[in-house]
Amino acid sequence: MGPSPPTAHRSRKKRKPEHSTSNGAVIFDSSKTEKPAFPLVAFFWPAKGTNTSQWITLPVIFMLVFLFRWCTGMWPYSGFQKPPMHGDFEAQRHWMELTANLPVTHWYFHDLEWWGLDYPPLTAYHSWLLGRIGWSIEPEWFRLYLSRGTDDAGLKVFMRATVVVSEYLVYIPAAVLCVRQLARLHNINGWESSIALTGLLMQPATILIDHGHFQYNTVMLGFTLATIACMLAGRPLWSCVFFVGALGFKQMALFYAPAVAAYLAGICFSPRLDIPRLLGIAVVTLASFAVLFLPLLLGTAYDTYRNVPLPSDSTLPPLLSSLSWQPSEKAWYYPYLTQLAQTLHRIFPFSRGLFEDKVANIWCAIHTSGLHKLHNYDSALLSRAALGLTLASIIPPCALLFFRPREAMIPYAFAATAWGFFLCSYQVHEKNVLLPLLPMTLLLATDGGLKAATRAWVGFANTLACWTLFPLLVKDQLRIPYFVLTGLWAWLMGLPPASVGAYTVSGEEGRLSVVSKILHLGVYSIMVAWHLLEAWVPPPNDKPDLWVVANVCLGAAGFGLCYLWCLWRLVEESGLLSGMRSTKRKEEVSKKKQ
Amino acid sequence: MTDQYPTLLQCAVPATALKVLLWLAYRSTDFEVHRNWLAITHSLPVKEWYYEKTSEWTLDYPPFFAYFEWLLSQAAHFADLGMLEVKNLNYDSWQTVHFQRATVIVTELVLVYALYLFVKSSPPGSKKQAHAAALSILLSPGLLIIDHIHFQYNGFLYGILILSVVLARKPSGLLASGIMFAALLCLKHIYLYLAPAYFIYLLRAYCLGPRSIFTIRFVNCIKLGVSIAVVAGVAFGPFVYYNQIQQVFSRLFPFSRGLCHAYWAPNAWALYSFSDRVLIYAAPYLKLPVNAEAVNSVTRGLVGDTSFAVLPDISPRTTFVMTLAAQIPALVKLFLRPTWDNFVGTLTLCAYASFLFGWHVHEKAILLVIVPFSLLALKDRRHLGAFRPLAVSGHVSLFPLLFTAMEFPVKVVYTVVWLAVFLLAFDRLAPPSEKPRVFLLDRFSLLYIAVAIPLLVYCSLVHQLVFGAKYEFLPLMFISSYSAIGVVGSWVGFLVVFFTS
Repeated sequence: MGPSPPTAHRSRKKRKPEHSTSNGAVIFDSSKTEKPAFPLVAFFWPAKGTNTSQWITLPVIFMLVFLFRWCTGMWPYSGFQKPPMHGDFEAQRHWMELTANLPVTHWYFHDLEWWGLDYPPLTAYHSWLLGRIGWSIEPEWFRLYLSRGTDDAGLKVFMRATVVVSEYLVYIPAAVLCVRQLARLHNINGWESSIALTGLLMQPATILIDHGHFQYNTVMLGFTLATIACMLAGRPLWSCVFFVGALGFKQMALFYAPAVAAYLAGICFSPRLDIPRLLGIAVVTLASFAVLFLPLLLGTAYDTYRNVPLPSDSTLPPLLSSLSWQPSEKAWYYPYLTQLAQTLHRIFPFSRGLFEDKVANIWCAIHTSGLHKLHNYDSALLSRAALGLTLASIIPPCALLFFRPREAMIPYAFAATAWGFFLCSYQVHEKNVLLPLLPMTLLLATDGGLKAATRAWVGFANTLACWTLFPLLVKDQLRIPYFVLTGLWAWLMGLPPASVGAYTVSGEEGRLSVVSKILHLGVYSIMVAWHLLEAWVPPPNDKPDLWVVANVCLGAAGFGLCYLWCLWRLVEESGLLSGMRSTKRKEEVSKKKQ
Repeated sequence: MTDQYPTLLQCAVPATALKVLLWLAYRSTDFEVHRNWLAITHSLPVKEWYYEKTSEWTLDYPPFFAYFEWLLSQAAHFADLGMLEVKNLNYDSWQTVHFQRATVIVTELVLVYALYLFVKSSPPGSKKQAHAAALSILLSPGLLIIDHIHFQYNGFLYGILILSVVLARKPSGLLASGIMFAALLCLKHIYLYLAPAYFIYLLRAYCLGPRSIFTIRFVNCIKLGVSIAVVAGVAFGPFVYYNQIQQVFSRLFPFSRGLCHAYWAPNAWALYSFSDRVLIYAAPYLKLPVNAEAVNSVTRGLVGDTSFAVLPDISPRTTFVMTLAAQIPALVKLFLRPTWDNFVGTLTLCAYASFLFGWHVHEKAILLVIVPFSLLALKDRRHLGAFRPLAVSGHVSLFPLLFTAMEFPVKVVYTVVWLAVFLLAFDRLAPPSEKPRVFLLDRFSLLYIAVAIPLLVYCSLVHQLVFGAKYEFLPLMFISSYSAIGVVGSWVGFLVVFFTS
């Protein structure tokens, strides 16, 4: 390229894709010939430099990632042939039969003990639709009470297909949009963003949990991606709609809520106060929530009209009885209020413990490692401590995003906030690690995302996350898919344990610091050693959970590092750190160009 | 260009990952067949191998395959002893499944190595094309469906075939190529279909003088003869010693089976049956006699005697004569001009002939055509034009092998991706041909490929919705006839290309 005028970087849209790319997919060997920086790039090599249409590359990517998803689905799911309670598969199946068979007013009141519906309304509608479709295919799969614990092979195919279809309707289009927006923002050519997209879609943890263990996380994650895409596209109102969709599907999207709020608020206050935008965001968000609850309320209206009583064993939601003002049972709005209160009560069960099972967050690590036994404390105190710590961890990223709402900061801020929640808040599942992982993996599609430095951190977080999921996956008999998918992804991205290429890279830019290298390689070798121990050495008799505890502690420490790294990059990205240094760098770059 | 990306090994890694994920997929009775063979070879003395019949899946592959199973059984020993008991019929503990599935993947490394040699041995000008062809074989949907879902060891066997074909490229490798092929015949006798091409090629290029066919190179003749005799001796010697050779051959060549296999392999006989079926309705108008008994039997297509209602019945002898007749022209050309390209072309045509006209042809045998043809497909655009309908029809014809709901998306999506990627890549890489194209093959293949989509939709969805379980044979017959048209079309196309170049 010839010398470019200093304003060249402003006209980003019309730049043609370059031959030699800058985002880290291509490296040069000693004889100055181009070669793929990691194996995933090699698969895109034939399309490099040719103007292969997106209409070919995208469907091919979709079909290939589909094959890995579907074949993972051939393995057992959580709770497969495990009476009495089975697992998440049974929960989702039960929600389908429940919503398809019962009047709307009973949905959130039905038997809590057998996988009561405790997800927000969008999940309920989704289950209703799938239950209806499933019922028309084979009613035996969805007979209330009678079909509990069914493990029919046809049902498995149907349920697996519903996950795939839901994902392809929400997550995949959103991922494409989001990667495209990032490519536009960072001026990355289509070839390199296709590589990043494939890296994102092959993310092992998501495949293992959704298509192996069985859940519909990708719907919620897809809405989140759509939220990010709309923010990047400068359409904050749409991002509100999608984020309400994410929250309405799975309350765990709350992990992102502070970052979303900080960004949306931030763009209303800077560069100058924008009242219409603020009002628009508020109105659209409220309206989205209203639409979210509308079917539930319409169903309630219909049931009230038909005089359908609530289930005989139902009790009033505590939320309602704790109100200072007691509404009369005769009031017209009473049934609606009851439903809303009950829904909220089911979605946010404050009475549960600090953490569930063994999860790699701070509380569980402190408790199980024996550092400090936490059940000596009052649960209210612990809740308050968790709240305080969570706030402390999310305030820095959110404050940065609020005061300097730059588009490039969004993935970092989302990741840092979600890591904060995952590590410090209460009521966390090991599967929730998917939430911080998503924005972190999205970094592959950002500036320099495929270079060793970023790729290594993204890979570190992903591999570590899969590794902390391992005890759960073993319970589901998913040991082999775990090794296959995690190993494949690490190999594709040229990362340990398959390769140390990213750590030996030479060159000025995009290298890892020595500290990161030591930390990463240390953690990787512990993970490998842990697998060997877990496979061959039984834990001592008095400490049967030793391996799991070790897993949790290392996981929490590693995730802590990921949090710090995201925060650090966020600070860098915000330009807050010595405006001097960044301007200096820019001068150097412009000098080089000339 | 020194390196081609992605390399063979790079492609093998994700392919292996997918194959491991497919371990729990549907498996056909061939899985039990091979398990039984593991048990027979492991627990019985050699002289009982070809007599053992506790299971209905008796050992009916040649001795080298039995030795191969014996080798595998030595490793199986460490996985699960249960699978090595002859009496444990249909034994499928998870160790057994994982072990047997893993052996298919590991032995397929032979194919990877053979393809690597193929690319290495190809001339510098066509490295790129050779690399693409090698990848297309390595990632072939045929091998995925047959080996890694249905369960067989074709990857390993075709690896040996390609190894032998590649060795034949240099004059110095001809002897080794012959030995390799003899060994392959002793592994699986289906490759006998290719033997005429080998015979003629080795005869002309190795045993007779390069200038004149009247100078006989006696040393070479003896070397080749002795080597092949040694291979055959190692394979069949023990059974000759026990005086069991008759029994072995009766197991290898069961002529009691019907003309068409259960799934209607897409060959001339499928078109023949289809015409017969149509003629049943037309017969009253044409005043033809109808064999009432046969009317019901054809449609079921079960293994057994196939009889036709209107058209004359076919005897094994007829099929044999027709097969040979179809092979002879190509063999003559090979004899006159024994180049490596002609050799591979003749291999392909021999495979075509036996697939199209053979007795009791299994649809899996289409790989016998696709694999050698792939090595030539990128020679120029004319070859590619003939290859394209084969690539579509050959793989589509394998679809009825897998009929379970869970495997349906795998076979369809994998094949579609493969077709999309490789047909596009081939289209870019195939050099223009020196001679003008004779046929309107391009138009034909485009139309042909386009028809595949509605056909598949009908067969997998619409038929069931409209007719339910009735007329089950219809989708099978459509797929088979559709594929037969493609195979015959590509055969005709390739004949033209072969004899005019």
